[in-house]
Amino acid sequence: MDLLDNYKKAWGNQPEEIQKLSAVEIYKMAHSKSSSIVKWIFIVGILELAFWLIINLFVPDSIYQVYEDLNLEKHLKVFMVFHYLVIVVFLYFFYVGHKKISIASSTKNLITRILNIRKTVKYYVFYNLAVVFLTSLALNIVLVSDADKLMKIMNPNNIPVDINQLIIITIISQLIAILIFMVLLWLFYKLIYGILLKKLNRNYKELARLEDVN
Amino acid sequence: MEKDLEDKFLSDFESNQNIVHKICRVYTASQDAHNDLFQEITIQLWKNYSKFRGDSKFSTWMYRVALNTAISLYRKSTRTLKTQDISDVAYKIKSSDYDDTEERQLSALYAAIHQLNDIDKALIFLYLEDKPYKEISETLGITSVNARVKMNRAKEKLKNILNP
Repeated sequence: MDLLDNYKKAWGNQPEEIQKLSAVEIYKMAHSKSSSIVKWIFIVGILELAFWLIINLFVPDSIYQVYEDLNLEKHLKVFMVFHYLVIVVFLYFFYVGHKKISIASSTKNLITRILNIRKTVKYYVFYNLAVVFLTSLALNIVLVSDADKLMKIMNPNNIPVDINQLIIITIISQLIAILIFMVLLWLFYKLIYGILLKKLNRNYKELARLEDVN
Repeated sequence: MEKDLEDKFLSDFESNQNIVHKICRVYTASQDAHNDLFQEITIQLWKNYSKFRGDSKFSTWMYRVALNTAISLYRKSTRTLKTQDISDVAYKIKSSDYDDTEERQLSALYAAIHQLNDIDKALIFLYLEDKPYKEISETLGITSVNARVKMNRAKEKLKNILNP
C-alpha cells in the first residue's frame, strides 16, 4: 500500500468542522467587504488612470503659452484629440478586462486575466510617459533650433546670459526633473505591484512551467 | 427574486461549507487566517452565485471558486508554520470518535501540506478529495497529461516531507 493511501484514508475520515456557520452568519459574511488582490489591482489601476488624467487636465496655462509662442497651437490641438481618444481606448480595455474576470474559470485562465488587466494599466503608464518624453523632446528641439525664441521664453526678463549656457541649463534641469519623476514612479511600481503581484506571478509560473515545455 | 437566490445560496452553502473549511485549513495555518480566507471565499461565492447556471453540481463549482480565491485572490501570503498553529489544527479536528492514529496522521498531513506551494496544495487537496484527473486539469486550466505529471511530483514532495 502506498504511503499516501493511509493518509488519504485519514483525510477521508476527518470529522466535519466543529465551528459550523449558521445561515445568518454566512449571510453576514457574504455581504461584508472583499479585500481580494483583484480589488486592490482595480483600485490602484483607477488611481493610476486618474493620476494621468488629472495631470492632463491641470497642466498650467503657462505651458500652453509656450506652444503659442512657438506657433504650435494647431499641432497641440490635433494631438490632444488623439491623446484623449487613446485614453478612452485604455479605459475601455480596463473595463472589459475586469468584466472578463470569472472566478469560476480555471485557475490559469483567472490568473492570466488578472495579469492582463495589470498589463493594460502598465501600457497606459508607458504611453503617458512616452507622451511626456516625446512632447518635451519635440518642444526642446523647436526651442533650441531658434535662439531668439528660447531667449524670449526662458528669459522673459531679459537678464543678460549666454545663450549656450541657457540651453545647457534648460536641458539639465529638465533631465533632473524627468529623472526624479522616473525614480519615484519606479519605486511606486516596485512597492505596490511587487506586493500585489508576487503571489500571482509565482503561481502562474508554477502552472505554466510544464505547459510551455510540451 | 434576490431573496429566492439568497435563500438558495444560503442553503447550498450551509450544507457544503465543510469543503471551504478544508480548503482554508490547507491554505492557512492559524485560526485568524482561516477565518479571513473563509470570509473572502464566502464573499466571492455570493458575488458570483447569480452566474452559477447549475450545469455542474454546486459542490464542483464551489471547489473552483474556493480554490481560485485561495490561490489567486487571497491577499495575505501563507505565513511560515509555527508550532502553535499545528496544535491549532490538531485541536480543531480532535473528536472523540476519531481514531488516535488517524488523528496524528491527519495533523502530520496538514503540517506537510503547509510546506507545499499554492499549486501543489491544490493538486494534493484535489487528490485527497478523490477528484478525477479530468476535473483537476479543468479546475487548474492545464492539460490532463500535465496534471498527471504535476500530481506525481507534488505527491513525491509530500511523501518526502512526511517520511524524510
